[in-house]
Amino acid sequence: MSDPRGPSLTSVPGMPGRGPGVGATMRLGIKVRPHNLRYAVARIWAYFRGERARLGLVFFFILIDSAFGMAGPYLIGRAVDAIAAMAGSSLNTLQLPARALTMALFALLAAYLGGELLQTIEGWLMAGISQRMVRNVREGLFDKMQRLPLAFYDTRPHGDLMSRLTNDVDAVSVTVSQSAVQLMSGVVVVVGTLVIMLSLSPAMAFVSLLPVPLVFLLTSTIARRTRVLFKEQQDALGTLNGHVEETVSGIQAVKAFGRELEAGKHFGLINEQLRRVGTRAQIWTGFLMPMMNVISNIGFAFVAVTGGYLALRGFISVGLIATFVSYSRQFVRPLNDIANSYNTLMSAVAGAERVFEVLDEPEEQADAQRARQLTQPRGEVEFRDVSFGYRSDVPVLKDVSFQAPAGSVTAIVGKTGAGKTTIVNLLSRFYEVTSGSILIDGTDIREYSRSSLRRAFGVVLQDGWLFAGTVRENILYGRPDASETEILRAAELAGAAHAIERLPQGYETKLVESGANLSQGQRQLIAIARAVLAAPRLLVLDEATSSVDARTELHIQQGMMELMKGRTSFIIAHRLSTIRDADTVLVVDAGRIVERGSPEELVQRDGYFRRLSETQRRGIEI
Amino acid sequence: MARIVDTGVAARDIAVVLRLGLLMLSVAVLGAGGATGRNFLSSIVSYRFGAQLRADLFHRITSYSFKELDAFDTASLITRQTNDVTQVQAFVNGVMRIFAKAPILAIGGLVMAIALEPGLSVVLAVAVPLSAGLITVNLLTGFPRFRRMQEGLDRVNSVTREYLGGIRVVKAFGQEQGEVRRFAGANGELTAASTFALRVMAFFGPAITLFMNLGIVAVLWIGGFRVAGSSLQVGKIIAFINYMTQILFSLNMISGIITSFVRAKASWERVGAVLAMHGSESFEQAPAAILPSTASSASVRFSGVFFAYPASGGRFVLEGVDLYCEPGRLTAVIGPTGSGKSSLVALVPRFYEPTRGAVYLGSHDVRQLDLQQLRQRIALVPQKTVLFTGTIAENLRWGREDATNHELEEAARTARAHDFITGFPGGYQTVLGQGGVNISGGQKQRLAIARALVRKPEVLILDDCTSSVDAITEAEILGALRDSATSYTCILITQRISAAAAADCVLVLDEGKPAGLGRHETLVRECDVYRDICIAQLGPEAVDV
Repeated sequence: MSDPRGPSLTSVPGMPGRGPGVGATMRLGIKVRPHNLRYAVARIWAYFRGERARLGLVFFFILIDSAFGMAGPYLIGRAVDAIAAMAGSSLNTLQLPARALTMALFALLAAYLGGELLQTIEGWLMAGISQRMVRNVREGLFDKMQRLPLAFYDTRPHGDLMSRLTNDVDAVSVTVSQSAVQLMSGVVVVVGTLVIMLSLSPAMAFVSLLPVPLVFLLTSTIARRTRVLFKEQQDALGTLNGHVEETVSGIQAVKAFGRELEAGKHFGLINEQLRRVGTRAQIWTGFLMPMMNVISNIGFAFVAVTGGYLALRGFISVGLIATFVSYSRQFVRPLNDIANSYNTLMSAVAGAERVFEVLDEPEEQADAQRARQLTQPRGEVEFRDVSFGYRSDVPVLKDVSFQAPAGSVTAIVGKTGAGKTTIVNLLSRFYEVTSGSILIDGTDIREYSRSSLRRAFGVVLQDGWLFAGTVRENILYGRPDASETEILRAAELAGAAHAIERLPQGYETKLVESGANLSQGQRQLIAIARAVLAAPRLLVLDEATSSVDARTELHIQQGMMELMKGRTSFIIAHRLSTIRDADTVLVVDAGRIVERGSPEELVQRDGYFRRLSETQRRGIEI
Repeated sequence: MARIVDTGVAARDIAVVLRLGLLMLSVAVLGAGGATGRNFLSSIVSYRFGAQLRADLFHRITSYSFKELDAFDTASLITRQTNDVTQVQAFVNGVMRIFAKAPILAIGGLVMAIALEPGLSVVLAVAVPLSAGLITVNLLTGFPRFRRMQEGLDRVNSVTREYLGGIRVVKAFGQEQGEVRRFAGANGELTAASTFALRVMAFFGPAITLFMNLGIVAVLWIGGFRVAGSSLQVGKIIAFINYMTQILFSLNMISGIITSFVRAKASWERVGAVLAMHGSESFEQAPAAILPSTASSASVRFSGVFFAYPASGGRFVLEGVDLYCEPGRLTAVIGPTGSGKSSLVALVPRFYEPTRGAVYLGSHDVRQLDLQQLRQRIALVPQKTVLFTGTIAENLRWGREDATNHELEEAARTARAHDFITGFPGGYQTVLGQGGVNISGGQKQRLAIARALVRKPEVLILDDCTSSVDAITEAEILGALRDSATSYTCILITQRISAAAAADCVLVLDEGKPAGLGRHETLVRECDVYRDICIAQLGPEAVDV
């Protein structure tokens, strides 16, 4: 009997259903903004801020390296010319072309060596640049995840968000590290080669340019398709990640109900969708290279035929044909590279867009300007006509008003779904009130900074969730600088000390996910110790001891009473033993407070509280 | 090419030039046709392979027992399913694409070059093995780096997953900055690992090209002076260099594939580790003894059970437990936190197996029963409620796929869930978020009970699953359960005396050892642990009754 945190999500369009409509529900409720390629690329580019000097350096190296690369065919041409001259010369005239050949070859050697060195440096630099950039993308995304409201997480499969941080960012990473250099050097080489070819023979240069429009047409046609397919592929991968995460996390239930085969079936559907779009994306991508080869060979043939013709007419030398053939090949390869990188860029854009989708989600309402810090509150809490609903059409709390004086203990009881946990959610500003206000020390909580407000509370939540760290790390969570004595005392007060000492490694025991080393009740005790150690002025215990046995609970009660001294506390509980020491009991029903008073008063009245206490005493014969 | 220059240009025959040009073109088109076909095939095959691999992994993972699952980090299992498979798949695709092409190009280039001019081929004899050697070194140095990179991904996944799981706690304690730091640690490690891996690759790619380019210089050098002796035509040198470029091209291709192979090999080992561990709960194995389904066979008996979790270093959580749970009766297990209650019932559906002693369903040791059948006959409602993304009706049908709407409603009524379900605007079609995050704890627990009831099990195990339900509703649920419990064996783990008092038989556990067995009235008189619990819960007057 606590309350619905958002009773229904039927309106969320993209919750991945268990049914066959996997394709239709692939977008997971995240708005897909209209595809705007330039916008996406500009946004990716923004992540290179701070790397621009290094990128400039890489570009500079690429310029030189490309110059070396382009010098290659020219020097080969010179060498071939020299060789041709040597072929036709007698022994005494041999010296001149032989010197020319030697010089050309030394220049060639230098160009190759220099090119290799520069390429290695470029790759080295680019690896750093790209991975730092990718780290920033991930960091930015995770930072953003801190500022998103809980409502965002309530509707998204965890695995899909994980996929955005790894698989999608990976898609960006691969592209940036592999294609950036390719793209830059491609452009440089195309421009450079063009200039050289123009200077050598404008007619031949023109012939070499003929395939270019075809290349553009081909690339844009293919990229248009792959872009959509890559996005669908990343979406499917995300959904798959979500399903795997959920299945593995809930494996106990899967096994208990023998649902392995059904889970597999559902997995199969997503897997099939992933396979289908993946294959299509790959096929379209694969079209690129053979087509480019045809185009380049057409160009190649043109160059050879034209060159042959011109040489026959004596306009150009045989060496020049060799040079041109090399150049036109060199011209086509960077064009291939550009086309290829452009297509790979589409997969980066697809990944980046999924990251941007999260980045564009509305954040938790920002702190008020000049927000006040809530430090050392007296601890007076007041709800003033508070109404709230997780969805606008389903009110959960209706005009709830109550006051808790500093240092008082307030127990909140009521049936499941009455609105109890919602009160906690609003108090710590997990959600914002729809109307009315909540005041601490007479000031609306919206005027405090959110972080200082939350730090003022020690909260023990229903599920007693712990990190996969050691017991000590978990207790230290709320106050990492606490001393050893304080840890031991917190564990003692929370009644967790005995259980912890019995563990093989005591406080250094690593908690495992399956819960094999600690029972649910023991986990709750550690969660209480964690809140106790943080020891703020306000304490909220939301069914903090529901899995703890009564004897242990009685044992912690004394510790808790000590702890609650001087602290304003709210206790949500079902067991009478937990609430009988409260100053005030609020009985909540259907979002309203229906009874209030001290436990003694309420027992006298004929109401819910009396029935509750009688039921517990009498056992289940109702 | 060589012939255009040598024959055409030399013979000054324009027709030959044109004819040869056309020939080049048609060869190119033919080649493209072949490449496209190869593309289709390799895309289809590699993605099918990837899909199959993922499916195999998924089935293998779901067939793991808890003990086997504990051997892997959950986040790592997820990375392996998606990211690692993607790497392997990309490699398969790449390999198929160049599988025949690159070696044929390389070998063809070699053969043609040698045939064209054996004298110049000495150069190749040096350059090609050198490049091949480099590729091998590349492989050996790259592999461990990429493995570290994938492990970095694991950690990023792991931190994220934990953050998502504990987001309320993070926010409640205002520990966002700590989480960002933790993430930055994992993120930094991944960045360092991948930068390192990429840098290794950045070194080898250009080095391979360099070797072949040096070969070209050598060819020109040697060729030049041989031409002078008139033993070589210029066209042949050009052609030879073209063949060398071709070999270089295919070597580059191979080296590119090697790069992806290195990454794929690292991933493949991780995938392989999952596949290599044989799931002991595989459903493909031959069914063991099949149990006839009669009411009398559904009793549950624990006989001298000792149990220690495999990872706990042999510390017993259960020591010498004997218990007989009769069909049609309500058996309760009560005891302090951590006394072994949940561990005891986890042995019935064989989530774990007892270290010593045995658990019997009817007259059969559960270890001898077909696992799937065993679990089909048991419904366990765990302490920590696990619901799944999907509608309420879909979640309830987990109990039994073919349950009618009427049966769902009936189960929901018994679990006192019907009223709040119909209170939602979407009713039974209301969509739950992951883990049922959008409904309250008590509502989740009641859905979980209803889900178990839909199954119409022979053995129903309720593991303290009403802790978030108020006492009045709990009493109603237990009352309704007792009325319908005539057909099944019901084991109830509870903290509440009120619930235990209603049971036909109560086992009191204390630190894994049985401390009492009998009805409420007897235990109040005879069992100290039980009396303590009573006093703690109901006050001293409760034991005077």
